[in-house]
Amino acid sequence: MISKADWEEVPGTIDSDSDEKLFFSVHEWDTIDAAASRIIPTDADPGAHEAGVIVFIDRYLSGIEFNFATAAGGGFLQMAGKDAVAARARNANMQRLYRGGVKELDRIAGELGQQSFKSASADVQDQVLEQLSGSPKPAPISLDSREVFHSRLQGNTDDGMPFFPTLCLHVRQGFYADPVYGGNKGQVGWRVIGFPGPKCLRDTMDGTYSTAEYFVQEYDWSELIPGFKASGG
Amino acid sequence: MKRKMEPVDVVIVGLGAGGGPAAMVLSQAGYKVVGFDKGPWLRPAEHYSGDELKYQNRSYLWPDVDLMPRTVRSDDQSVAEIFNFSPVPSNVGGGTSHMAGWTPRPRESDFIFHSLHGDLAGANLADWPIRYEHLEPYLTKVEWTYGISGLAGADKGAAFRSKDYPSEPLPPTRFGKKFYEGASALGINAFPLPMSHLTEGNALGRPAVNRSSFWNQYGDPTETRSSVTTTFIPLALATGNFEVRADSFVRHVKVDRQGRATGVVYVDNDGVEIEQDARVVILALGAIESARLMLLSKSARFPDGLANDSGVVGKNATFHEYLFAVGLFDNERDEPLNGWTGNYQSGGSMHFYETDESRGHIGGGIIATTQTGQPINMILPGRPTWGQAMKDADRSYFSHAMKIGFILQDMPQETNRVDLDPTVKDAWGLPVARITNRPHANDLAMSRWQIDKNMEILQAAGATRTIPVYLERFTGNACHQQGTVRMGIDPEKSVLNEWGQAHGVDNLFVLDGAGFPTALGVNPTLTIMANSWRCSDYIAQTHLRGRADRLELPNTGEVRRQEPK
Ligand SMILES: Cc1cc2nc3c(=O)[nH]c(=O)nc-3n(C[C@H](O)[C@H](O)[C@H](O)COP(=O)(O)OP(=O)(O)OC[C@H]3O[C@@H](n4cnc5c(N)ncnc54)[C@H](O)[C@@H]3O)c2cc1C
Repeated sequence: MISKADWEEVPGTIDSDSDEKLFFSVHEWDTIDAAASRIIPTDADPGAHEAGVIVFIDRYLSGIEFNFATAAGGGFLQMAGKDAVAARARNANMQRLYRGGVKELDRIAGELGQQSFKSASADVQDQVLEQLSGSPKPAPISLDSREVFHSRLQGNTDDGMPFFPTLCLHVRQGFYADPVYGGNKGQVGWRVIGFPGPKCLRDTMDGTYSTAEYFVQEYDWSELIPGFKASGG
Repeated sequence: MKRKMEPVDVVIVGLGAGGGPAAMVLSQAGYKVVGFDKGPWLRPAEHYSGDELKYQNRSYLWPDVDLMPRTVRSDDQSVAEIFNFSPVPSNVGGGTSHMAGWTPRPRESDFIFHSLHGDLAGANLADWPIRYEHLEPYLTKVEWTYGISGLAGADKGAAFRSKDYPSEPLPPTRFGKKFYEGASALGINAFPLPMSHLTEGNALGRPAVNRSSFWNQYGDPTETRSSVTTTFIPLALATGNFEVRADSFVRHVKVDRQGRATGVVYVDNDGVEIEQDARVVILALGAIESARLMLLSKSARFPDGLANDSGVVGKNATFHEYLFAVGLFDNERDEPLNGWTGNYQSGGSMHFYETDESRGHIGGGIIATTQTGQPINMILPGRPTWGQAMKDADRSYFSHAMKIGFILQDMPQETNRVDLDPTVKDAWGLPVARITNRPHANDLAMSRWQIDKNMEILQAAGATRTIPVYLERFTGNACHQQGTVRMGIDPEKSVLNEWGQAHGVDNLFVLDGAGFPTALGVNPTLTIMANSWRCSDYIAQTHLRGRADRLELPNTGEVRRQEPK
């Protein structure tokens, strides 16, 4: 069996402008694109739609070919062995979750007197998402809040979540992941929040991409640490 | 019939922080050593890069929960549920391939917790069978072989050290500088925590070119990060006495009729079962998996699991939950903090390390200001999950938030343990590790006190809002594992002696964090490596030469409590 260390590298990148559908039907594509646009809306800055999030999600759902980019980013790793078996099983679940999710969006939209989710106005779409999530549309962060939180795992997989939180996670991923995966077109997501990410993944492999300029340039340990005297030279 | 390989001197199971130094020491001493890892041997320069989605969301290195599940419950009455508890990468290098890399030294008090505090109700405190002074030379060796950056003398309560660091710390990040400001305002001794990476001009002559800030949870394609695969393993291979067998899952330790270990049975990548005999068997699978393999290795001589006459295997597990407080700053008024920059932590403190009972708990841990992370997974507890509010929160706080983390020194309890799950199996068809864990009252009190203190530091640094992340239940999110195969002097209350050698099975050693009788207050990996080196010296110089030796302990009453001045 091929070791993970030797997974084949299949060259090729994903075009964020493509409207070729590998997994979604036309209706599913339009519905998820509309929902993504409510999750990261377009305002003075681009949103999920402009970033090509729908292409990102479609490619991810289509199978396991686009799970892992190669290190340098010029293609994708062909998973093999036990990892591939587990990933395929999860992919099948994920496909079912999305197929059911689109139906659910249309069903709720229908209850609100709409023909479909995608044809509803932004406000009504928000109402559908509120119903689907079971809570009101999130309010802005409050500086007076005293809310407390509890620890959770590092790493954020999409295992075992209901449809709506899964979709929200995937929209974030498609907006902010390296463009090699088909979203974050031209790095728009990064520009919106001011993240000066690498031009391409290869640049992170040999020091070409550096954040050295964001470290403090002028400092003196004995000023930062009262009472500390640097020993010797 | 099973295939059999040519016998060797030493078998090491698990090539992470514990297995790496053992491989180097024993192969350099001239012994034939085979090291097994169930995962692949990834090549940093070829396989690693700064791909957030791949590393943090799609588990390229995190263990696959469907292949290697664990189960968790809070007490014996509950049914355990599948959960990726304390996940650590499965590949040659283990956790050292993507760990953040805080590598502070422990202090004297870590080794004498029972002498200092006596019996704490509901806990199972113990002294270690070694003292700081036994480990000190090995801490230095690891710092100079593995490669650690630090600033000697900056931690005012630090224990004795025999040598300076081989490399200077990185410059502070902008959020690091804020942390120093907040700490100084409150009179707290902050300092650049020792880190397992090197900086330019280090005494080891290694390159230090990675400033990409893709660090915690990422593999490093350069040699800037110190990891087992770029240090101990190449040094071991250079002797010609060491062989790595990757993608090889060890499922059983074999014993003869007297109960001495004779070798291991493993399954290779094609599913073939193979036997490997050896004179010495070393376990370093990580404390959860080392205990599990011992419990799986039942025999006529050891019906309850290998070397488990005491019944202690799996018990007293400690996990160091990682807790923190986040501070939000004003994106119009304040300079950007760029919480996504740096090699994870950028300044910490051990000011609250030693017991001060006026705080309402015993013990204490290390704190540090750490990255809030890259765009997808930026840590902002309570971030709106969708809509305009989410987009606004990302825009306002991506570069205007910081966090101060805390490593909880949890108390060992006999009932907090690892055993075999009665129903759930892994991809090799074997029962998985089941974790039973409930926080001790001291754990809850300590974490609350410290997180509140971290919020005070954030406020002193100018945060407009502080957000606490407290302990509710253990998730194993620090990925630190200790205590499941205790070292001790008494064979009825511990499994290993002071050399990590099983009481009663003289050629079986456990050299990961499993041997730690109490959780350190600091991150464990430096100590795991130093202790593995120390015990491997014993195996090479004494045990394999047919001798035995016991370690003399100093008078415990003499150890001075360290307070920051
Ligand atoms: C994201 C992250 C950040 C961390 N940051 C820090 C930090 O800043 N400071 C710190 O001190 N620690 C940190 N740690 C923890 C650190 O990684 C561990 O303490 C350390 O790796 C433990 O060493 P070990 O030898 O016990 O186990 P590991 O390093 O886990 O190595 C065990 C090896 O055994 C192999 N193995 C397991 N079972 C079998 C089997 N049946 N057969 C064959 N091989 C097997 C595994 O594949 C693995 O490679 C971090 C961990 C993670 C995941």
